[in-house]
Amino acid sequence: MSSSLGSEHRFAQFKLVLLGESAVGKSSIVQRFVKDSFSDFRESTIGAAFLTQTVDLDANTTVKFEIWDTAGQERYRSLASIYYRNAQAALVVYDITQESSLDKAKYWIKELQKQARGGIIIALVGNKTDLEQERKVSSEEAESFAKGLGLLYFEVSAKSGTGVRECFKQIALKMPIEDSLRKRRERKSRTVDLNKRPSTNEQQCAC
Amino acid sequence: MAERRPSGINSRRPSVIPYLAGIEKPVLPSIPSQCDVLICGTGLVESILAAALAWQGSRVLHVDANPYYGDTCATLTIEQIKAWCASVNDGSSGFQGFSKAMLHIPYPHRLNSRDYGIDLSPRVLFAKSDLLSLLINSRVYRYLEFQSLSNFHTFENDTFGKMLSTKEEIFTDQSMTLASKRQLMKMMKFVLEYDLPENKEELETHMHEPFTDYVSNRFHLSSQQINELCYALGLAPKPDISTIQGLSRVRRYLVSFNIYGNFPTLYSKYGGPGEISQGFCRSAAVAGATYKLDCALKSFDPDTKTATFEDGSKVKISEKVVCSPSQAPEGSRNVPERNYEITRLITIVEKSCKEWFAEGESAALVVFPPKSLPSNNQFPVQSIIMGSGTGCCPKDQCVWYLSTIEQGERGRRDLESALKKMEESILRESEDGGFDVELTESDVAVQANGGISVINSVKLGKSFKGFVPKEKLTYLLKLMFTQYTSVAPFGVVSNAVFEKAEENDHPGNGPDLKVIYSSMPSTEISYDGVVTEARLLYSKIVGSDDDFFDVDFEDDEDYEHGPSSESAIVDDAEEFQPEMAFEL
Ligand SMILES: Nc1nc2c(ncn2[C@@H]2O[C@H](COP(=O)(O)OP(=O)(O)OP(=O)(O)O)[C@@H](O)[C@H]2O)c(=O)[nH]1
Ligand SMILES: [Mg+2]
Repeated sequence: MSSSLGSEHRFAQFKLVLLGESAVGKSSIVQRFVKDSFSDFRESTIGAAFLTQTVDLDANTTVKFEIWDTAGQERYRSLASIYYRNAQAALVVYDITQESSLDKAKYWIKELQKQARGGIIIALVGNKTDLEQERKVSSEEAESFAKGLGLLYFEVSAKSGTGVRECFKQIALKMPIEDSLRKRRERKSRTVDLNKRPSTNEQQCAC
Repeated sequence: MAERRPSGINSRRPSVIPYLAGIEKPVLPSIPSQCDVLICGTGLVESILAAALAWQGSRVLHVDANPYYGDTCATLTIEQIKAWCASVNDGSSGFQGFSKAMLHIPYPHRLNSRDYGIDLSPRVLFAKSDLLSLLINSRVYRYLEFQSLSNFHTFENDTFGKMLSTKEEIFTDQSMTLASKRQLMKMMKFVLEYDLPENKEELETHMHEPFTDYVSNRFHLSSQQINELCYALGLAPKPDISTIQGLSRVRRYLVSFNIYGNFPTLYSKYGGPGEISQGFCRSAAVAGATYKLDCALKSFDPDTKTATFEDGSKVKISEKVVCSPSQAPEGSRNVPERNYEITRLITIVEKSCKEWFAEGESAALVVFPPKSLPSNNQFPVQSIIMGSGTGCCPKDQCVWYLSTIEQGERGRRDLESALKKMEESILRESEDGGFDVELTESDVAVQANGGISVINSVKLGKSFKGFVPKEKLTYLLKLMFTQYTSVAPFGVVSNAVFEKAEENDHPGNGPDLKVIYSSMPSTEISYDGVVTEARLLYSKIVGSDDDFFDVDFEDDEDYEHGPSSESAIVDDAEEFQPEMAFEL
């Protein structure tokens, strides 16, 4: 391991997927979290769909999220099974100014129950709190729904940034870090990283 | 190693979510009214095409008649397999190009549908191949997980042997004479150098003669070695291949060796072409393509350039319609002929089959050369073995994919015959408690670096004769079917296939006038030919393939993979062996 800190540094990576109605701000939340920026005129997601960002939980623990945005495939309910595969966390986003977006969020939660692995951490996220005066969904309603299902619940604003980091940090705290470290140590089958070609035929024996 | 520390932050409460009652499916928005290219069917070729077109800037609408991705090369659950068989047999549109699906599930309650991912057309990926390069250039590899496959077994004289394919193996093998080792090495050297100027004459003289004649005359290899070269390393789907075909096949294997490690092939976890298709579809979506499953083409009117779907929705198309033959509209008249057959037998067995896998791996290949089976097979039978580590089945089970290009009843008989041999072999090997039992010190070669690498292959493949298994193998699923394709074995996709529909210009010619058809998965057991076909279709639509996936990925932050290890093998970094000098 590269880290030379006193004690062993713990590093674990988890896949996080986003779900929710179009225009609720899924990509904006990711953009805020990964690049700490916001644009008022975002097009529907095309372009970036695979971003990573780390969260330091403490001096010795880093959690890296591999973030999958829907890329529009959810629009006609045509998400591929690879989207859900091995997802360890999901952000189901609604827009606090659009009542119907909470219904869509409920639909996606149901879909996650069917498609994703058991034990996935799901967070229900109300976005656009900067538009408080236009609020249509009360915090109490959404929160009690989330709590009833044992989901995490957050309200954020991708525009102002309020709540976004905290939301990812709370999710990171729920990630099964020890599990993941142990699996990596124990894993028998060899996964090959296609981006690494060690053998330009002068591979040194590292023994 | 990190010490384990008790840690409050990790005490995770698994989120058990109660069933949500009464949530209506939201109403779907209507599909876009316009696109440049409509693609029907999300098989691998069509998915690569969709992604290439989307990144080039075309507005792509990509649909599939089924509620899942993958079409002719889908990876299916047990329930999906059942429905698929029913549809194939009642000739439903959307399933053309397949026939005679026979499914047997003896213990239905023992199969939990979603624990399985069964490939309709499984393939292995050579480490040096155009699809692999495309997976990297397109960044699609990031969506997938790959594992290595080293073991290519050959069935010969009633035994299973593992081909000696690396220099170390050849050098250290004890069953071969020095002279025959030298010949084999010479042969392999020629394979790598046959296109050098100094070999031009030699090659041209012998190019078209049978490969078997050439190697036996020129390098004096035994018929067993020749079979191994041809059918195991070369994965030739038929006998009587020419010298040039044989050489290029063996070369494909050799150059793939030591690209990522000491193995020639890989496969994608959780399912082969079905998973990779999904990866390319996601890539296409990222580039702006629109996806809709459960959406079958009803007709295309080339005059108004309007496609109509079974649900009544319509879309105007400014460029072309590409369709998989499997999803041709009802009553279509222009689907190209598919003259070649592949018979497949897919089984799930209750055995881990780890005896066949290389250390740390979960998959293997077994080939039965022509005439090696009691059925006196004229064509080889190829089989891909996928253990539970591939994510395709639960622990202590294994999926066997057998296939041959022999046709009809004969093909089915050959597959049954091969299946029987595999059953005998795995029972014998697992009853013996694996390989280790019979090995003596002289069977194990110690390498210069101290690693123990080679075991006597002949001994491992001890004959089955006289072996009476104590137990029977339990089959949890058996599926046999025939698939048709326009691609000849060894053939390359021909443009003529795509042009057929276009030429057909007289009116009143069915609902698929001017639809360009792809050619169905080829008989090839590797991914070779897939990218070529996608490229050809691409040129047909765009005019040239110059900018096929010529994409500058801006968002490409250096994609470091956690704490980095030197090796490509993420989980087992020390496995790497230094290359041996190639000298004769
Ligand atoms: N006021 C306000 N606007 C926001 C906020 N987050 C996103 N938006 C705006 O909402 C619109 C949609 O945001 P996106 O991030 O593209 O939404 P999305 O969920 O990714 O949409 P799709 O990709 O179409 O599924 C954009 O115009 C954003 O600028 C927010 O917190 N406050
Ligand atoms: Mg978006």
